[in-house]
Amino acid sequence: MTQFVVKPGVKNLQHDGEKLITTHCCYCGMQCGMHIRVNEKTGKVVGVEPRYDWPVTLGKLCPKGVTAYQTVDHPERITKPLIKKNGKFVESSWTEALDLIEKNFKELQAKHGKDALSVFGGVSMTNEKCYLVGKYARVALGTRYVDYNGRFCMSSAAGGFMKTLGIDRGSTLPWPELEHTDCFFMAGSNTAECHPTTIQWLWKARDKGAKMIVADPRETPTARIADVHLDLKAGTDSALANGLMHLIVKEGYVDEEYVNERCNNYEELKTSVEKFTPEYTSKITGVSVGKLVKAAHIFGRSPRSVVMFARGVEQQSKGVDNVCLYTSMALLRGQIGKFASGVATFTGQGNGQGGREHGQKADALPGYRKIDNPDHVNYVSGVWGIDPAEMPKAGVSAYEMFDEIQKGNIRAMHVICSNPAVSAPNNHYIWDGFKKLDFMVVSDFFLSETAEFADVVLPATTWAEDEGTTTNLEGRVIRIRKVKDPIGDSKTDWEIMKLIAERMGKGSYFNYDNVPQIFEEFRIASKGGKADYSGMTYERIENEDGLFWPCPSEDHPGTPTMFQETFGTPDGKANLAAVDWQEPNENPSDAYPHILTTGRVVFHYLSGTQTRRTDFLMEQCPEPYAEMHPHLASKYALQDGDTVFLETKRGSMSVKARITKAIREDHVFIPYHWGKELSVNKLTNPALDPTSRMPEFKVCAVKLKKA
Amino acid sequence: MKKVMYLEFERCIGCRSCQAACRECGGHDAKERNYVEYIDFFESRQTFPMMCMQCKDPACAKVCPANAIQITEEGVVLSAMEEKCIGCRNCTFGCPFGIPKFDFEENKMYKCDMCYDRTKYDISPMCASVCPSDAIRFIDHDEMMELRRRRTQMNLIEGKKPSENDKWQYVPEFFGVYSD
Repeated sequence: MTQFVVKPGVKNLQHDGEKLITTHCCYCGMQCGMHIRVNEKTGKVVGVEPRYDWPVTLGKLCPKGVTAYQTVDHPERITKPLIKKNGKFVESSWTEALDLIEKNFKELQAKHGKDALSVFGGVSMTNEKCYLVGKYARVALGTRYVDYNGRFCMSSAAGGFMKTLGIDRGSTLPWPELEHTDCFFMAGSNTAECHPTTIQWLWKARDKGAKMIVADPRETPTARIADVHLDLKAGTDSALANGLMHLIVKEGYVDEEYVNERCNNYEELKTSVEKFTPEYTSKITGVSVGKLVKAAHIFGRSPRSVVMFARGVEQQSKGVDNVCLYTSMALLRGQIGKFASGVATFTGQGNGQGGREHGQKADALPGYRKIDNPDHVNYVSGVWGIDPAEMPKAGVSAYEMFDEIQKGNIRAMHVICSNPAVSAPNNHYIWDGFKKLDFMVVSDFFLSETAEFADVVLPATTWAEDEGTTTNLEGRVIRIRKVKDPIGDSKTDWEIMKLIAERMGKGSYFNYDNVPQIFEEFRIASKGGKADYSGMTYERIENEDGLFWPCPSEDHPGTPTMFQETFGTPDGKANLAAVDWQEPNENPSDAYPHILTTGRVVFHYLSGTQTRRTDFLMEQCPEPYAEMHPHLASKYALQDGDTVFLETKRGSMSVKARITKAIREDHVFIPYHWGKELSVNKLTNPALDPTSRMPEFKVCAVKLKKA
Repeated sequence: MKKVMYLEFERCIGCRSCQAACRECGGHDAKERNYVEYIDFFESRQTFPMMCMQCKDPACAKVCPANAIQITEEGVVLSAMEEKCIGCRNCTFGCPFGIPKFDFEENKMYKCDMCYDRTKYDISPMCASVCPSDAIRFIDHDEMMELRRRRTQMNLIEGKKPSENDKWQYVPEFFGVYSD
């Protein structure tokens, strides 16, 4: 296979004594194309070169992407297995570490049953690995308890899309089409900081006169230039969507033909949005009537529009409702399944899309199959070569695994590619859970906050030391190339799972010598499922600039635009959402008078395990801060840079205040990329969405005082 | 060098990719030479990038008593030559845009050289290559002139006409940095 892929006529700078290897960034769902510079003599990764000809990002990178390569040969990498002895980590051999894991896993299962073990996965790794996590938990360990950090990231979008459209593909249209869109409706997405390389498409569309409506409690860089900034209160998205649909129906902007032909529930929707007059909506959301009316007219009159949203609407106890309602806005306008229009969520994690499709979820099997469907279980059991009766039942969601630890049902956990000690809500509960475990294994390449709780830490590799595929936020499957051999004794996650499987006597089910073998099995496992990858090969992915699923056969071109003819529901029609607004789980009270919301900054990725170890990024943003309006700050006599003490029902922290008018007066924003005393997730609310089991990171009640 | 650097301030999203990328350029010693600043963070998140204008008759070179600042035949104003720079910092004060930086450990000035090792082959500088919002671009001179006129075009399309009171709103706000 080719290592350096470049189109004719594209010039890149090649330094003497270096080679370029074409791959994608390890961070967010944009999966920006890049070439990694490798010194041919030392084999070390020395830099990055823009990949000008990658059609989704055209060489653009955010600061995380530019510096991503710096984590590969980083001095803080874990290069040997670590075993905790007398509270301190001691370097050990793989044999010693695996002996200890085998002994503990087997003892605990003999004493407490198969389900005493659990696996906590992540989706910042390739499809091959994500696929294997589900198989590892269910076949190698035989436990029902497997779930992953996607529950904290995009499971509400998945749940909402499943309900309304029948298939969860993050974007119904390919990204480069955004340039031709006439109107963007963006809710709860700080696109400029969280998916910066999308901005080029938005700005290009703006150059052509596209309109932009942004719903966000903060005046983000996209909100600042928007035609209408709907500065709603956090947690009122479903009211806002209902209010806008009220106006769309009332003003005659509904594409009646499309709705009659392709959607269910239109009458129910009309009834349910009836009470959401602009005045009523304004009262709930805090957005002025004038803005609501203006937004509805702009959106309603645009021939081609895209509704986009992200964690802001999804990380709520009503996240699925929000997604269903916003998706319904696009359906009412007849936008889904057409050129340069549709609906999209900004997938947060690198392989958030692919990783959620193939069985890491407590109730899911590869190809978006369900574990409660006997046909699905039979098919996947056949691929895996196990008796369907041996397939464990559905487990519980990520946060609920910690309830099972407290109840004593889960006694051991293997955390792979995740750092819930920072990223899970209500941190104190999570930390307490880790301490309660009899045995804990973490695979990671840095000693994350979660790894510090472990009994055994296994040195995993970075993305640049292994090959495979990921699925970006569009649903495009792309190639990640191996840039160099793993450093020290580190091993890839699939090798680690294979080694443990062998120790558990299940080695014959994990008989892989290389990644392509896993990919071949995974293609078959996804065949016939909703997310069908069976027609994809590494060659095709390379030659065709990635392939969009579903791609059910090798002569199938892939599916850049979804739902052109029919939806993925049993009757082929989309289900419009007729859902009332419900208030967030926690509301401001006299004791906790303000709303706390959390999010990301452009310089850090998720729990910060990697970005907090990157010099440039730490220089730009070394610590969290509390962003607030000067009006709120003055109530507590706070000046810019003063330390402020924040407290919710679950925890407290002190951070510096950062004062700006670019946020609602009644909100405080804190980024969540730090651990321990700097973790805002000590304060966040673990109230779960009833469908997606996603916690309500985005809204909780807080009190402040000057520290 | 046929292309020009083109800045469009209001496209900037403040991600500072250009600064991270500046450190990646060969010969930049992992030190960035460009700037991204808030206009006023109290008021809004608007930021703008700032980099060397590669002046035709650069003040930095003019005020250098050691003649350490060289200009290439294409017109790129380079960092002070190591063997000539006496560390007087005249250039940092002389530059009307506040661009040259001073390394107190090495006792020498350093500044944007438009990624000369790239641009001499007509490959885009690192900052313009990665800028996710196209606030910084490396484009043909003709394309730049076309872009400068675009705002006026858009206003006319939208049916707006300048009046005596607001004609300044119709002046293109962008400008290019170019050598020849």
